[in-house]
Amino acid sequence: MVNLNSVPPKNGQCYLALGLEGSANKLGVGIIKHPFLSKHENSDLSHYCEMEILSNIRDTYVTPPGEGFLPRDTARHHRNWVVRLVRRALQEANVSDPSQLDTICFTKGPGMGAPLHSVVILARTLSIMWDVPLVGVNHCVGHIEMGREITKAENPVVLYVSGGNTQVIAYSENCYRIFGETLDIAIGNCLDRFARTLKIPNEPSPGFNIEQLAKKSLNKQDLVELPYTVKGMDLSMSGILGYVDSLAKDLFNKNTKNKILFDPKTGEQLVTVEDICYSLQENLFAMLVEITERAMAHVNSNQVLIVGGVGCNVRLQEMMATMCRDRSNGQVHATDERFCIDNGVMIAQAGLLQFRMGNVVKDLSETVVTQKFRTDEVYVAWRE
Amino acid sequence: MKGTRQSDLAYTLYLEVPFKTAKQAETAVKVLKPDPILKPQDFHVEYSSKAHNLCVSFEGVDDRVLRVGVSSVIESIKTIIETIDEFSH
Repeated sequence: MVNLNSVPPKNGQCYLALGLEGSANKLGVGIIKHPFLSKHENSDLSHYCEMEILSNIRDTYVTPPGEGFLPRDTARHHRNWVVRLVRRALQEANVSDPSQLDTICFTKGPGMGAPLHSVVILARTLSIMWDVPLVGVNHCVGHIEMGREITKAENPVVLYVSGGNTQVIAYSENCYRIFGETLDIAIGNCLDRFARTLKIPNEPSPGFNIEQLAKKSLNKQDLVELPYTVKGMDLSMSGILGYVDSLAKDLFNKNTKNKILFDPKTGEQLVTVEDICYSLQENLFAMLVEITERAMAHVNSNQVLIVGGVGCNVRLQEMMATMCRDRSNGQVHATDERFCIDNGVMIAQAGLLQFRMGNVVKDLSETVVTQKFRTDEVYVAWRE
Repeated sequence: MKGTRQSDLAYTLYLEVPFKTAKQAETAVKVLKPDPILKPQDFHVEYSSKAHNLCVSFEGVDDRVLRVGVSSVIESIKTIIETIDEFSH
């Protein structure tokens, strides 16, 4: 049994936490509330905190079509906006006196160094000014705890798919263990970079635009054959990206020598950009479903929780649901873009759990951000 | 970090940034201090506060390293000032 009430809230009735996220191109500020309930004293209810979201504000740094986001520019975006977002979050949450907050949570890593650093500078300043303790949060654990609280999935296999990470995770003995992961690039990175090759907009997100193109494919029964690269429990995606990139380039250059894309006799185009997008998604997601299913078999679980930016993809959710239906009584839990895509609330949720277990920053030297911070390095004190 | 280094780096800069109160200047020092320098053999920073002022002294192995290091610290100082300005009433 776990006691989530070991540190009582400042006002005696509820905990208030501010979460700051800025590890990639999204800047998120969120404020949440947990009621102080006796049932949390001696139970295993870290997925049932009765969290209330008081505000959840995000600003995304969007680059022009064909371009990715660079650390320096992203950090500048965050610095430009972060103070204003915190102000708005406090107003929306109706927190007139910020020193009422129980904790300020920030992303310690993993992520891009410069953007992470730009946010932690603000977090430290606020902590000193308001005399509120800091909690450093692992970004991946943030996604997991957010997903558990929103969907109420108690002990799911977690598929964490985003622009920077691709991992299959299961909980065991106070640790989120990584069962499988990408050996090279993340799935979101693969989709983003293909979107750059296609020169399609990065607004609202490159992956979303690929998903919309894929829906328009008129030739869904004939998949374009792509490399399928599952390696045991792990995945590799850089080769697939290279392959679809070259297909797209042949298509744009009308290279009729390519027999996959053009009829060798008549020169007629057989495959459209939409078809390639569709096949790319089917292929990548099939790989994810395969390793997720294997992880479920390993840990004897019938729940899957999909988190991370790519987790909003409806097609991925559908494919995962099909797999779960075929297993006995399986369920897929996923959230929408408010929670899937990086946000401040998830950092606040994971951070507040840490805070309630008494794990706070005691010296500012512990707040140095780090680009590499694996999911399994975190001691998960708030679960049995 | 241990203060065992000798100051043998040729390029130096000293900055003083005035704050409204001594407490604010101390806050800035506390916020800036924790971050390690990536290449300590090429670049050093020292933060301190004197009355209402934040005092920063930089040392770099060449002018380029010094310029890059100084501008990154100045960006952080700007965030601190904006935060203090917005949230202290």
